[in-house]
Amino acid sequence: MAAETRWIQDEQSTGENLRGNLVGSLVLHVAIAGLIFGAAYISNRGHNWGENAATAGAIQATMVASLPLPPKQRELDNGVLTSESPSPAPVVAKEKTEPPPKPDEVAVPEKTKPVKQAPQPTPAPPKHPQPTPPQPTKAATGETAGIRIPQSTIELKNGTASAMVQDRTFGARFAYYVNIVNRTVAQNWYTQEADPRASVGKSVTVIFDINRDGTPANPRLGTGSGSPSLDQSAMRAIQRVEGFGPLPAGDRITVEYTFHYTQ
Amino acid sequence: MNFRSERPLTHLIRFTFAAAIMLSLPVGLHAQDWFKTETSSGVSNIRLAVADFKGVSATDPQTLPLKHTFDTTLYNDLSNAGIFDLISKSMLPQASPGAPAEINLAQWGGAPASAAMVAFGAFGSSGGRITVNGFLFDAKNTQFPQVLAKQYNEQASDDMARQVAHRFADEIIFRLGGGVPGIAETKIYYVKIGGGNKEIWAMDYDGANQHAITHLGTVSISPRISPDNSRIAFSSLGRDGFQIRMYSLLLNRPVSFPSAGGTNLSPAWSPNGRDIAFSSSRSGDPEIWIADSNGGSVHRVTSFRGPDVSPVFNPKTGSQIAWISGRTGLPQLYIMDTDGSGVSRMTDGGYATSPSWSPNGQFIAFAWDRKYGPGAPGGQDIYVMEVATKRWIQLTHDIGRCDFPSWSPDGRHIVFANTPGGRSSSTRIVSMLADGTGRKTLTEAGADMPNWSWK
Repeated sequence: MAAETRWIQDEQSTGENLRGNLVGSLVLHVAIAGLIFGAAYISNRGHNWGENAATAGAIQATMVASLPLPPKQRELDNGVLTSESPSPAPVVAKEKTEPPPKPDEVAVPEKTKPVKQAPQPTPAPPKHPQPTPPQPTKAATGETAGIRIPQSTIELKNGTASAMVQDRTFGARFAYYVNIVNRTVAQNWYTQEADPRASVGKSVTVIFDINRDGTPANPRLGTGSGSPSLDQSAMRAIQRVEGFGPLPAGDRITVEYTFHYTQ
Repeated sequence: MNFRSERPLTHLIRFTFAAAIMLSLPVGLHAQDWFKTETSSGVSNIRLAVADFKGVSATDPQTLPLKHTFDTTLYNDLSNAGIFDLISKSMLPQASPGAPAEINLAQWGGAPASAAMVAFGAFGSSGGRITVNGFLFDAKNTQFPQVLAKQYNEQASDDMARQVAHRFADEIIFRLGGGVPGIAETKIYYVKIGGGNKEIWAMDYDGANQHAITHLGTVSISPRISPDNSRIAFSSLGRDGFQIRMYSLLLNRPVSFPSAGGTNLSPAWSPNGRDIAFSSSRSGDPEIWIADSNGGSVHRVTSFRGPDVSPVFNPKTGSQIAWISGRTGLPQLYIMDTDGSGVSRMTDGGYATSPSWSPNGQFIAFAWDRKYGPGAPGGQDIYVMEVATKRWIQLTHDIGRCDFPSWSPDGRHIVFANTPGGRSSSTRIVSMLADGTGRKTLTEAGADMPNWSWK
């Protein structure tokens, strides 16, 4: 009896059942598609480093700077010798002929009588040979060798770095070494480590020693800047340096290094 | 009348000029911004002038060609160093000073040379000897200009003239380059392909003086020079397949190294010269093994399914090994401690081969095909990875397949094998600075697997 009625009901609602099946199949397909996409999204979200994506595997430009090579300065590309593009040809001006001057335009020079001068009486030569005064080896005025101060300053992108060697005779005698120290530390100072809002216009002085073999030692803060991030970046710059090369003289030298942060 | 008719024209010109300025203003500003972002720091290199040396004994007909060799080599060495802005010789003053008394520093320090440092000296040859007096002067320090003074006295030959130039260049680089010794006296060992054989050859760092080391008449690959420059370890094909072999440069003959079963490849010296790591398939799978330099006390370091090849020691500490492992499919770069612990994977995909650890231990250079697979657009290029952070940069682009990078002892250069045409017969050896610039081809086609000496 029950089977009979069910069968009859099925028979009656064939059209509605077809629609129901259609809707059901649609829902099922959408659900499966959603499941696949969802699984793909969950299992593969984000980038692995090494993928060719803008954010994945990104590397800072500072890495090349930390290779022992000095960073390359970008050169202005509009110089005639440095640029690839040919420079414009010079404008060829048409040759002009000057009109001849009118006869009355040319002034005739007037004759003037030379003024006669009485001959100067020459002093009589001394009877005894005089000793010649020593010739000065240097010019009394004008060009002299500039006074070298044992300090060198380098202008950076945002800031200046200057090194001062406390031993003044060393700085004068081995100025090139002071330059190398300054250059090496400046290369290792990453100004982006300092917080620009707190550090603009401030300077920090770090004092450190250089051993006989050229390794920096014992870096300490001389004068703080008041900006902890700037102090930190300056200390790190010294700590990053592996060596400056052996000292040309002496066993140890103390260097005072000032980092000045400008915008 | 004439004046009046000109006025509107002047206005028009003025307007056009103003408009042109307005138009060009954003472009100019943009250009300036661009420069600002590109410059990492304002520190420029030392401007160095290298004068032609003064020939002091012109009567000897040998002097001129030898002096030419010397001058060219010195200039190239300093230019290859990568730490100087070398001033073109056409900008230098005409006079070539031969002694400190003869140099007019104001002339060299001023425009157009504007040199910060000047290298100059005298070159003479007489009675089969060459005498070189070399000086390095600080052009900006008028009071105490002398930085360096050197004298060399060697046999008169083209090779010795080049060697003396290398030595003087290394002295200059050592003084001005922050105490890192120069590489002008180093050698590069490589595989020469010819006549169906592969032999081990050697050359100077600049590609000069190429000469054969081995004459085994078989296939010898992956030469590795010992840290004291006394021995070359390499892998050679014999009756038992590829075996590690050893060649003594002091005795100029092969010395014994025990052979074992399987394929033994890519030896690597530890920085103290006592141990050799290599890959061997004597136990089935290619694994990393470590033996002492005489082949004794062999022990296995890795044990994992999949091949493990191309080991290289950390030259700074000697306590780590970087190598290539295929345990997860395609070969990847790994590092571990020398006892096999602390394994860490460095690359995450692609096809990585032939690592070389930088002398300061900070970087690993390796060849990597990041888009490996059928139809993939990738090519094999040289990459450098910072070990601590796993950040990497690509050094070569679009010059064909690149493989077998090897660091120079100063850590500023990398030499590698480059196959421009894709055919393996066109493989040649190329060197470059460690940031990928200054590429220089050192050999003709038919040279592969370079290995830079340790000093």
